[in-house]
Amino acid sequence: MKTQVNSKTGRRRFSANVLTLLIGVVAVLALGNPSVQAQTTGTSTIDSSVTIATTGTVTEGTTTVAVNGSVTIKCRRVIDNTSTTLAPLVLLDFDFSQLQGTTGSGKTLKTYVTGDNHATALRPFQASDTIVVTVPYFDSATDGQQASSFLATAALNFDTSTGKLTSASLTYGTNVFKSSGVGTFTVN
Amino acid sequence: MIPISGLSPFARSAFADSNIPTGLPPSPLFGVQDFSTPMPRFDVLPRQPVSVLNPAPTAQANTTQQPVDPALGGGTGPIEGRPPGPIWAHQQFAQLPPVIAIQATMEGAKTNNVYNPTVPSLQNSGINPATPIPFQFHPGLPVQNVLKDWTYNGTIPPKLMVVRYGEPVLFRLRNKLPVNQNQNGGFGIHTISTHEHNGHHGAENDGFTGAFFFPNQFYDYHYPIVLAGRNSINTTATDARASGPTDAGGLNKIPGDWHETMSTHWFHDHMFSFTAQNVYKGMAGMFNIYSGLDRGAEDIVDGVNLRLPSGRASVSGKSWGNLDYDVNLMLADKAWDSTGQLAMDIFEFDGFLGDRMTVNLTFKPFMEVERRKYRFRILNGSVSRFFKIALSDGSPMIQIANDGNLLPHPVTLTQLDEQGIAERYDIVIDFSRYTVGQKIWMVNLAEHQDGKRVDKDLSIAEALSGNSPDPCVGKFLEFRIARNPAQPDISQVPSTLIPNPDLSAIPVARERIFEFNRGANQTTNDPVSSFFGPWGIETDNQRGTLAADFGRISAAPRFGTREIWTLKNGGGGWDHPIHIHFEECQTLARDGSAANVPAWERGRKDVWRLRPGGEVRITLQFRDFGGMFMEHCHNTMHEDNAMLLRWEIDDNGAPFLRPLPTPRPTPQGVTFVPPTEILPTAF
Repeated sequence: MKTQVNSKTGRRRFSANVLTLLIGVVAVLALGNPSVQAQTTGTSTIDSSVTIATTGTVTEGTTTVAVNGSVTIKCRRVIDNTSTTLAPLVLLDFDFSQLQGTTGSGKTLKTYVTGDNHATALRPFQASDTIVVTVPYFDSATDGQQASSFLATAALNFDTSTGKLTSASLTYGTNVFKSSGVGTFTVN
Repeated sequence: MIPISGLSPFARSAFADSNIPTGLPPSPLFGVQDFSTPMPRFDVLPRQPVSVLNPAPTAQANTTQQPVDPALGGGTGPIEGRPPGPIWAHQQFAQLPPVIAIQATMEGAKTNNVYNPTVPSLQNSGINPATPIPFQFHPGLPVQNVLKDWTYNGTIPPKLMVVRYGEPVLFRLRNKLPVNQNQNGGFGIHTISTHEHNGHHGAENDGFTGAFFFPNQFYDYHYPIVLAGRNSINTTATDARASGPTDAGGLNKIPGDWHETMSTHWFHDHMFSFTAQNVYKGMAGMFNIYSGLDRGAEDIVDGVNLRLPSGRASVSGKSWGNLDYDVNLMLADKAWDSTGQLAMDIFEFDGFLGDRMTVNLTFKPFMEVERRKYRFRILNGSVSRFFKIALSDGSPMIQIANDGNLLPHPVTLTQLDEQGIAERYDIVIDFSRYTVGQKIWMVNLAEHQDGKRVDKDLSIAEALSGNSPDPCVGKFLEFRIARNPAQPDISQVPSTLIPNPDLSAIPVARERIFEFNRGANQTTNDPVSSFFGPWGIETDNQRGTLAADFGRISAAPRFGTREIWTLKNGGGGWDHPIHIHFEECQTLARDGSAANVPAWERGRKDVWRLRPGGEVRITLQFRDFGGMFMEHCHNTMHEDNAMLLRWEIDDNGAPFLRPLPTPRPTPQGVTFVPPTEILPTAF
């Protein structure tokens, strides 16, 4: 790299076309790489979604929170038609906005909500996938500044022929990262 | 072909043993450990009276002649590189005369002896600003060569401009780069143009890609710092929410729509077909705009101030712009060669990735924080890399702004959305949930294989496992909970921030469609304004996908109108963060539905990740100023090769022409030529 010469630097002494032609010729001669190619119909997309009624329990300190409600998972499978080498992908949107939580008996009843939280993810398309996301929740009497988080583990199944999300299950759990994701240092 | 150690400029590097196409072997660390050096806060550029400027700024470009270096062709040329004449004169210069001067040079790497973070050392992880700062990505890494890194003032940390509404600024940038364009350290070019992203001002100040200037010249950028709609809304300046902060703690009311208030900008080079190389070399800084609503003083209670985390006027003596708890973060992946010098594969047209994470141009630093709320203004300053940020313990963060704009309502998230190049996310993290002596990390969940797009979004556990082949996945910034705050945290995150402007009464003048594709055609052949590459843009389903030519007019909205633009990703194998200059837009739909617009995108924006195979529908206005602006992919390798177009507002009265002539800069002066092409649907 120390000897790198920027061919663009000298482009004003050459025609841009000439430079491009040279690069293109070298590329074709070297590999015949298909990455530069005529445009074809760009993309195929398949949309699908599932809505799941779920329940779970989350422990936050000394408080146990029962979580229930529906979660909608939207899926878009994307195939790039301009390349035979690019693998399909899925764009996922988890809508947790309809989840609610309540504290257990013996405590002052509080309602916890997840606000308008969505979690998004881009994943390679495959027959099944497991995705773990964290979900914020907070006491509706306060606001998001006091939020905590729990884990949601989604097991997703896809029809590889149609590209559609066919089924999903969700489990909830206490946020294990709260301990594992925190370290310590010595304060000077 | 030598630089990529292979035969083809389109082939993955022969050294690509980590799947990250840096074009080099993995960047050596010289024994440096993660999180072993403090993160420097930005270096604030001095604010001076305009009277210090010599020569004094002028409305039209200063064409005083000076000798031109023989390496640049000799003879004489103008001292200012701005295109001459009335069309490129500073618009509304008499009505909005500059009050503050900010000066900088563009030059090669050198030691910083005048670091000015404007916060006490205690708020800067113990860094003593009086200690000279060599240009290194870490104290354990080699000092950078003067030709490898080119930055504002030639130094690190990156620079911050601090401005406020109602106080016009004159930014004078002097080009002190080598006159010999081959003295570039292997990448970058010595002609430059600075874009204030995303300022609402005349095109002469926008860093137009074809308005570049040469070594030994300067360029005066006039940033009026006004609210959009200043000529049609609140014209008598009676609404206190439309205001800038005064030094005395009050409000300076100004015309315009307070719903258009902006906060977090950045500035960077925009040289035609060299933006990636120049920005990667270091030509990037940030730009905080303060307002009555967002004044950077959390203890001023006036019914307007949102009191976001920043600092106390009563402690600092500054009634605005406190940075104690308001932190700029510039994230950028870099690569360096076996000697530790910054390196880049300029032929990786799909997108260039680095294999080392830097924050504020420091390799994986730590930051000491107090047990209270902080605001972070996060900029993705990479060439092609997307990020997706979470905290290592999965704790919530509150997103308060997207790009330059505070959201209508804060959004609580445990992982941010993917963040494309040039996007800014302002978030609030409350560290009071931790105890002194604890540390947590900011984590990147977005795994790349190449520069086309994110390959996979990981869970926190996956990202922390260390198993990703992408070395920029995982922890990149360590927060050390150092102490309790000296004063109670009185900052707020109100449930309502800045609602969107109501555009419903403004008719839509027309709609346009822009499709971003691979496989472009070149219909022009201008040696200066056109450049061919694999990327391009199709406009209104006509003429096919076209490679960039800043002499071509692809769209020319009428002054004073509103339009709806649809931005389509023509492929599924890549993502494009598309940037539209000049005025903030509202997102009407994603993939055909308003319901697909997430809460954190329901404010105003200036960059949209289209997502693979996706599209967005946005609306924007064209008002207050005119001239030629741009629209382009901010994966700057795509932008440079050649996914960029020019659009213009050219019916804003005299002195504008219709169409506008294209500037053609030379060291001996700027000439003008007619547009190379005007698309049939442009006007």
